[in-house]
Amino acid sequence: MSFLRALRYFCREAAVNLLRSWKVSLLAILTIAVSLFIGGAFLLVSGNLAASVERWRGEMRVVIYLRPDTSEAVLRRLAAEAARGPGVAAVEPVTAAAARQRFRKIFPGLSDLVAGWQDEPLPASLEIGLDSRTARLPAHAAWLDAWRKRPEVTLVDDDREWLGQLETVVAVVRATGLALVGGLLGAAIFTIASVIRLTAYLHHEETGIMRLVGATEFFIRGPFYAEGLLQGLIGGVLASGALYGVFQVLHARRQSSLFSSVLALDFLSPQQMAFLVLLGGAAGLFGAVASLRREEL
Amino acid sequence: MIQFFHVSKRYPGGQTALDDVTFHVPRGEFVFLTGASGAGKTTLLRMIFREEVPSGGQILVNGRNVSSIPESKIPYLRRTIGVVFQDFRLIGRKTVFENVTYLPRVLGVDLQGQKRMAYLALRRVGLAHRLNAFPPELSGGEQQRVAIARALINEPDILIADEPTGNLDPDLSREILRLFLEVNLRGTTVILATHDRDTIQRIGRRVLTLEGGRLLSDQELPGTDPPVLDPLADAEEIASSSPTEPLEGPSSDTPAEAPE
Repeated sequence: MSFLRALRYFCREAAVNLLRSWKVSLLAILTIAVSLFIGGAFLLVSGNLAASVERWRGEMRVVIYLRPDTSEAVLRRLAAEAARGPGVAAVEPVTAAAARQRFRKIFPGLSDLVAGWQDEPLPASLEIGLDSRTARLPAHAAWLDAWRKRPEVTLVDDDREWLGQLETVVAVVRATGLALVGGLLGAAIFTIASVIRLTAYLHHEETGIMRLVGATEFFIRGPFYAEGLLQGLIGGVLASGALYGVFQVLHARRQSSLFSSVLALDFLSPQQMAFLVLLGGAAGLFGAVASLRREEL
Repeated sequence: MIQFFHVSKRYPGGQTALDDVTFHVPRGEFVFLTGASGAGKTTLLRMIFREEVPSGGQILVNGRNVSSIPESKIPYLRRTIGVVFQDFRLIGRKTVFENVTYLPRVLGVDLQGQKRMAYLALRRVGLAHRLNAFPPELSGGEQQRVAIARALINEPDILIADEPTGNLDPDLSREILRLFLEVNLRGTTVILATHDRDTIQRIGRRVLTLEGGRLLSDQELPGTDPPVLDPLADAEEIASSSPTEPLEGPSSDTPAEAPE
């Protein structure tokens, strides 16, 4: 029997079995769909978070706050010096007066806070834009440490610190997702294996006849393997569809919600979608093979 | 065709099913296998198609040592052997057509070919008009004839029947036995296990008698009532209905009746 013809027979028998015992099949399909949906959601969240981190990394900067008595000449000199530092893309010197004006502009309701002071209430600073490609170099960290020790400097505020923390969050999200998906996929495989074992039991009389007339083990087990594979693939497609639906809802709200704007920027790539569906198929096939490994059908 | 050399079968519990059984069945022979329940008839038959493996001795089927062929080759052995059981072993939710075409499907025969093979096999047992019926809709005799058609669909070299008339009344039993004799006339080797001594006496053929797992006797019986079931009367008709005839569509033939 040609392989293609056998494959067609397996698929037809698998489809008939799925329809015949649709309730238990649906249970198996939903279990794998839920597992993959959660896995896909974690993939989506971590992917979007990582993309956001990367975007922010491009916008990150270091602000060096100077002592209140720093003159404008010193500010200019320090700015010129900072511009020669490693990974520095641009330096903007901000005088104390400019800082006060900027505060008033950004927070008009709080402008009283910076009014009526004898001295300038806000310090002068150097706003340093960084090149995201070189800002991670060890030389850059050492350069910033040197600034921290200078007598003109009161504080060095480095964006990279919280970006680093955010990267840790992304890593934790990924690890949690992987662990959760591993557990859920295990449960889904177990469910599919149980369903396949049940189907095999219901068909044991028929498989006995097939064995009697000379069917090979591959031919007897093929339909059950195809059934597991089919359940997994359908679960994968359902999970991808549900994920896309939820993404669309969140994506539509990205203007009004910080959560949506960070987590629902981009959907999974076609490769990732295909991976999700194939993962479902592989889990289903594995469940079927595992369930029949020691079974005398 | 089938040779048993000092074959024994002992189960792990110590029970002996067969003990030093030796016989030879040439191609085209019809053999009754008889003995009381538990004599070892079923075990012996199951060994021929490698459902059981002997504890000792050798079994040759068509020149192949059945007891030592690898697992992967067993299906190919079984494709040359038709098997019929007392309980028919038909799948109730499948049609007669689906029940008889298991082997063609396994062999990868296309649907048209399956239909043709099913029609020819069912016509031989007089059930070509019940292709689309389901087994529960058939009588016991009809169900057994479907099982025989399933066993015959690939023109096997050997037909094995384990108490095929055990669940049937005398008239239906006669009808089924007549079918086996017809099959044998076409050249198929038939081994039929039964504990019905009356039938054996009437028909008369080679009889192997088992008792407590041992071959008690191997004798040729002349038959006391051969005209009733002797298919030679129909030999001409059987020879004319070639199994390779083209498919003409469902037949309205009524089941063959044994002449009274």
